[in-house]
Amino acid sequence: MIPLASRRYGAVNWIGLGTLYGKEVRRFWTVATQTVLAPLVTGLLFLAIFVLALGHRIDTVDGQSYVDFLVPGLIMMTIAQNAFANTSSSLMIAKVQGNIVDLLMPPLNAVELTIGVAGGGVTRGVVVGLTTGLAMFAFVHFGIAHPAFVVFHAVAASLLMALLGMLTGIWAEKFDHLAAITNFIVTPLSFLSGTFYSTTRLPELWQHIAHLNPFFYMIDGFRYGFIGHADAPPETGLLVMLGVDAVLLLVVHSWFRRGYRLKA
Amino acid sequence: MGMTTGRLGIRRFGAVNGLGLATLVKRETSRGLSDYNYHLLGPVVTSLLYLVVFRLALHGNDGGKSIIDFMTPGLIIYAACEKAYESAAGSFIFDKHERIIADMLMAPLTALERLLGYVGADCLGGLVVGVAVAIACFAFAGLGAAHPWAIAAFGLLGMALYSLIGVLVGIWAEKWDHYSAMHTFVLVPFSYLSGVFFPIDVLSPPLQALMHFNPLFHVIDGFRYGMTGQTSGDPLVHVAVLVGVNLVLGGWAYRWFRSGYKLKP
Repeated sequence: MIPLASRRYGAVNWIGLGTLYGKEVRRFWTVATQTVLAPLVTGLLFLAIFVLALGHRIDTVDGQSYVDFLVPGLIMMTIAQNAFANTSSSLMIAKVQGNIVDLLMPPLNAVELTIGVAGGGVTRGVVVGLTTGLAMFAFVHFGIAHPAFVVFHAVAASLLMALLGMLTGIWAEKFDHLAAITNFIVTPLSFLSGTFYSTTRLPELWQHIAHLNPFFYMIDGFRYGFIGHADAPPETGLLVMLGVDAVLLLVVHSWFRRGYRLKA
Repeated sequence: MGMTTGRLGIRRFGAVNGLGLATLVKRETSRGLSDYNYHLLGPVVTSLLYLVVFRLALHGNDGGKSIIDFMTPGLIIYAACEKAYESAAGSFIFDKHERIIADMLMAPLTALERLLGYVGADCLGGLVVGVAVAIACFAFAGLGAAHPWAIAAFGLLGMALYSLIGVLVGIWAEKWDHYSAMHTFVLVPFSYLSGVFFPIDVLSPPLQALMHFNPLFHVIDGFRYGMTGQTSGDPLVHVAVLVGVNLVLGGWAYRWFRSGYKLKP
């Protein structure tokens, strides 16, 4: 008789983790038209609108042409929205359709669940960011000043948004809750945190408020990687992203461990 | 027994089933506005975000005020029209998925009554959203009514156009992917690029010429003419084009309702 109770693998259930991650990636990849092509088209559309409407009115932002300033912001906005959408919709749909048990029953611990689901969101964020960036490069020949910053912020921001998406997906009880968080929190923050303008344009009080907002650091740091100029010190951005990611990882992990809103 | 079957076969009302039509309009309008958080506040927040972002991007620039005044009519009519599309298409796809489309097919309504019921309800929903967005924008931009007839005419023609597109997409579509593909790849780009945010004069001449074949351009430009008096074309041409396109799409939707294409087994 095979003992059913014991974990018959080492410290990490690699097969289980790989399966979960693979499922999260295939989930968006099978509908790539909606999950990769659609954000790419929307990103290009925003580029066209802002350049056509504002390009001839704004000469430079922080010494950069407006287009060069705008491109990193738009890529980051696309990354953020898609990493969030991937994890939040995955958990929400599983809860509504009742197949969340498929996630809770397998022999995966809270760490493996956190990494597996978040990994899917990070992958979607990075894939969408990369394809959108390449598509934009066909129209705007931007340079990359500090590639390490670009890579770090793409991954760190994807992780941040994937984790926020997981918290939302676990917390929300119906699709309306998810839509409300997306419409009234995620979209406004990704619009207002310096995607389209430099925060140095804001009144002083608002500048201070903007600098308390993690969305600002992910856009600012990512842009620093492209144009070599940031509104805040780039090192601060690195630390803020690492800190926020670490805190969110702990929160998601504890929610999975307790089964908050997932287990009866 | 014989009497009952005899009675069931006859339409016991005049040329128009007024009660049935009113019921359909009421059902479609209320389902489109049931959750005001999402259905009303969503478009309002999105439109305000655009205004704020453009205002901040142009902070300290002389053009700031004028571009906001230019965009506002575009944002209002676009929000209203988008709502009309969403209610129309969403309603059909939802009902087909949930297999409750029979509720509408069984009711003693003619194809024309169905068409009028859906389009009428979608226009009402669009009107509510448009008014909400206009009130919110009032805080940022000067709203005017240079030509009230044009506001009414292009508001109605525009919402009817998007609603008819929504009816056709909703009847034809088999899954939500079709609905969102039409929205993301066709409606949003063609609307946003045809004068919501910038005058089409900034486009190259061949693109400008091409724009005149895009019905959505005529809606947005005509509506802006109503509010500010600005136009990149001829308002009467806009009316003629939109009446024509609406008649064609309306006739098409009418045929689909009559034949039961993709609605009846």
